[in-house]
Amino acid sequence: MDNELLELQRQFEFAQQAKSSVRLSERNVVELVNKLQQLQIIDFELLHTVSGKEYITPNQLRLEIEAEVKKLGRVALIDLADIVGVDLYHVENQANHVVAEDPGLMLVQGEIISQSYWDGIAEEVNERLQECSQISFAELAAQLHVSSELVASVLEPRLGSLVKGRLEGGQLYTPAYVARISAMVRGATRGITVPTNLSTVWSSLHQLLAQMDGGGGVSVEGALFQSLFSGLLKEGEVLGSLRAGVHWTPAVFGHAQKESVDSFFSQNSFISYDALYKLAISQPRQYLQSRYSEGIPLETVFSHHSVVEMLDAAIEDAIQQDSWIDCLSVLPTVYSSEDASKLLTLCPSVQKSMKATIMAESYVLSNNFIKDVFEKLDKETKALTPTRHVFDVSPSVKEAKVGGDNIQFSTNNETVEGKSGDKVPLEKGLKRKKGKSARSSKAAPTEDSSVKQDNLPTKSKKNTRKQKEASSLQVTDARSTGKKEIERVKDDSASLITEDWIVQKILALFPDFEGLGDEDDPDSLVRVLTTHLRPMLLNSWKERRAALFMENVETRRHLLDNFQKKVDEHFLDMQLYEKALDLFEDDPPTLIILHKHLLRITASSILDLLLLNLDIDNKLKNGVQVEESEVAETSSLTSAERISLAKSLPGSLSLKSISAVEALEGKRVDAFMTALRAIAEESGLLLKKLDKKLERTRLHSYRKDLTSQVASETDPVALLPKVVSLLYVQLYGKALQAPGRAISVAVSRLKDKMEIAAHKVLMDYHTATVSLLALQSAATGDEEDCTSDRLLTKREYLESRVSELKALVLNSNQS
Amino acid sequence: MEGWDTTTKSTLTQIPLLTTKAGPRDGALWTQRLKEEYKALIAYTGMNKSNDNDWFRISAANPEGTRWTGKCWYVHNLLKYEFDLQFDIPVTYPATAPEIELPELDGKTHKMYRGGKICLTVHFKPLWAKNCPRFGIAHALCLGLAPWLAAEVPILVDSGMIKHKDDAATSAQ
Repeated sequence: MDNELLELQRQFEFAQQAKSSVRLSERNVVELVNKLQQLQIIDFELLHTVSGKEYITPNQLRLEIEAEVKKLGRVALIDLADIVGVDLYHVENQANHVVAEDPGLMLVQGEIISQSYWDGIAEEVNERLQECSQISFAELAAQLHVSSELVASVLEPRLGSLVKGRLEGGQLYTPAYVARISAMVRGATRGITVPTNLSTVWSSLHQLLAQMDGGGGVSVEGALFQSLFSGLLKEGEVLGSLRAGVHWTPAVFGHAQKESVDSFFSQNSFISYDALYKLAISQPRQYLQSRYSEGIPLETVFSHHSVVEMLDAAIEDAIQQDSWIDCLSVLPTVYSSEDASKLLTLCPSVQKSMKATIMAESYVLSNNFIKDVFEKLDKETKALTPTRHVFDVSPSVKEAKVGGDNIQFSTNNETVEGKSGDKVPLEKGLKRKKGKSARSSKAAPTEDSSVKQDNLPTKSKKNTRKQKEASSLQVTDARSTGKKEIERVKDDSASLITEDWIVQKILALFPDFEGLGDEDDPDSLVRVLTTHLRPMLLNSWKERRAALFMENVETRRHLLDNFQKKVDEHFLDMQLYEKALDLFEDDPPTLIILHKHLLRITASSILDLLLLNLDIDNKLKNGVQVEESEVAETSSLTSAERISLAKSLPGSLSLKSISAVEALEGKRVDAFMTALRAIAEESGLLLKKLDKKLERTRLHSYRKDLTSQVASETDPVALLPKVVSLLYVQLYGKALQAPGRAISVAVSRLKDKMEIAAHKVLMDYHTATVSLLALQSAATGDEEDCTSDRLLTKREYLESRVSELKALVLNSNQS
Repeated sequence: MEGWDTTTKSTLTQIPLLTTKAGPRDGALWTQRLKEEYKALIAYTGMNKSNDNDWFRISAANPEGTRWTGKCWYVHNLLKYEFDLQFDIPVTYPATAPEIELPELDGKTHKMYRGGKICLTVHFKPLWAKNCPRFGIAHALCLGLAPWLAAEVPILVDSGMIKHKDDAATSAQ
């Protein structure tokens, strides 16, 4: 038997003797564990693996997790659950515990990462950084599958120690690289001399870098430039100021700016804001005010105080010379008119002395100068005669105007009330006139006082027509009508002294105003001066008118008295003559001749008298000085003159006058008479009716007159009509005015009343006269005819009969 | 290898295989073979013990190692039934499998030949023949006796053919 066999036998024996291990089934073990838990012997949570075959305690799980983390540095919880074979839920719970207990660990997006892992990463990053000189966090984050914020937060504490580089805007750079970029930035910013947007600089630097690197993919963020730049700025390596983070204004630029502003301002004592804008100073006013406290900020220009002194001197000079000055001509051209007006407010000579007026912003006019202008213009207005074109307007419009004025008055002094109510249809006219009446209403109260005393009989007489018309519309007193009269006159003058007129006059008087801007421009000096002067002119004009009016009142009264007398006389005559026409009722042709004659001789003179007087009266009423001589002179007028005179009369009077003039051209005396009466009524004159007593006295005087005329008459031809007339007076008691043609008829008519012998004498004389006149008219051609002889004989014959004829009349007169 | 349960099969595969083909009359070769038999048995026993499945004790009854005796047991309803075990190594071994005898149970069951030799399944012989000379005593026990005991002992106990020694003692009293 060999030993080995024995040995094996012994081993086998030993193996069979060895105690067999006790083995429990899984079911038993589960039951046992449950029992233990029931008995509270296992008093902690017991976990089991995913396979369900193993129990594990939380502590063990933690240990396993920690071990795993320590081994790998970074473990995803899902992977961890697989590795330890425990449900993810428990792994997560325990992982939270583990991370909370160990500050070196962090739980990020389902992953446990240890600091040592980060250290390793940092070293790796450092290596790469030294190779590439630049890494972006985004790239790192993408590689590590974590957020770039996490990368940043992890790498930042390691910068400078593990990672030798610099973090800038999500990029890592090596110090050398940063130094190089910094040098570029310094160079670029030092090279800039004008304000620049830094981002453009950065982009050009960026391009430069890309070229140098040959498109090597090393991209530099603008933020790096910016931070490097701000670093440089802080260290004082570049000088300048930064606004809004990107607008870089180099100190050298600011210096140049200041220099140029300084030099310009000190040389010219002003600087325009435009110039500052050109120098890129965005808020020139504040800039200048902060720098030159003694300067004056104006609208377009910043001015030194010395400019005001200069201007002041110029103005003072102008004032002393009683002249005017355009400030813009004194100031440099950059000054606008607004600036000038602002400067003027600072000039002591204008503000304190009160001797000058500022107009159109930049013009300074001495008050004496204005007074001078005013006086000259005032003279001009004196020369101005009003043409009553206002009365050409239709009555209705005039009425409207009166209404409009009334409303104006009711607001002014409440004397006229409650009239506006029935004036609604007249609104339109009112509006049109409003501007003027509003202006004139200012002057109204002062005139009131003067008008009050005008309550004169003549005036009221003249106003009767008006009153009659007005009373139908309104209850008012004579004064308000008078006022209306004045108002109307004022309107008249207001329309007369227009701005344009004043402008023209000023330009004529002061030619140097010409070319100072457009005349029609409401802001030009002439216009402003005009508007300044116009109220004054109107006032003085009105005052003058009022004075004249007062003066004229007396003249008018005289005139009207005289006029009345004359008219009375003539009218009575006229009536007298008219009566005589009755004798010829039965002889129409003769009647027509007689009518015409009467109209031509008597009526025309009456009408002329009437028209001339009315015209003068009208002028006086309007305050126009009328020469006395004009009144006295009563030459006969042509029909054209009559018409023009009639037309110049106011309103309805004009119409009636025209109709009267037309009647004068007609054939009927009675038509003329009615027209005449109408005029008289219109103009407020009284026409006396012929009564018996008056008729007798008139007739008597007429007869006397005629008798004396006949007695003194030597011309045989002229004698006849007078004798005939006298005979008519004697025989019929009528005053006949007959033309030569009608004499024969008149003579034949006398036949019945006269003795035959006397009539014969008359007839003979008449035929002789007719033949003489016929000869005379025929003889005009050749003088050496025998007619001259016959004429002479006829004349002699007539002359021989004169005494006979005279006796005829004078005797009967005596009898 | 059908015909055996999975536990048996897995156990069988873990028993070291033998290499020497020698019978009791082959002298030194037999000794070599016997050493391998021992090694296999040691491994098998160790395996059983570690699995808490120890079920036999055997030892060589003669120095040549041609006769083996021992005991085997089976636990049924928490009771341990123990039987004597003996077998001879045949001369044609290893071509022929040893015939395991349980003398106590002779005549108590059908699945037994005269003299207490157990009847093996039909699958045993071909498998053995196929695995000659790699199968040894350990394999024969594992493939033959263990399944037989698991099948027959519960039947024998239930039919009352065998009784537990404590019961036998009490019934004897």
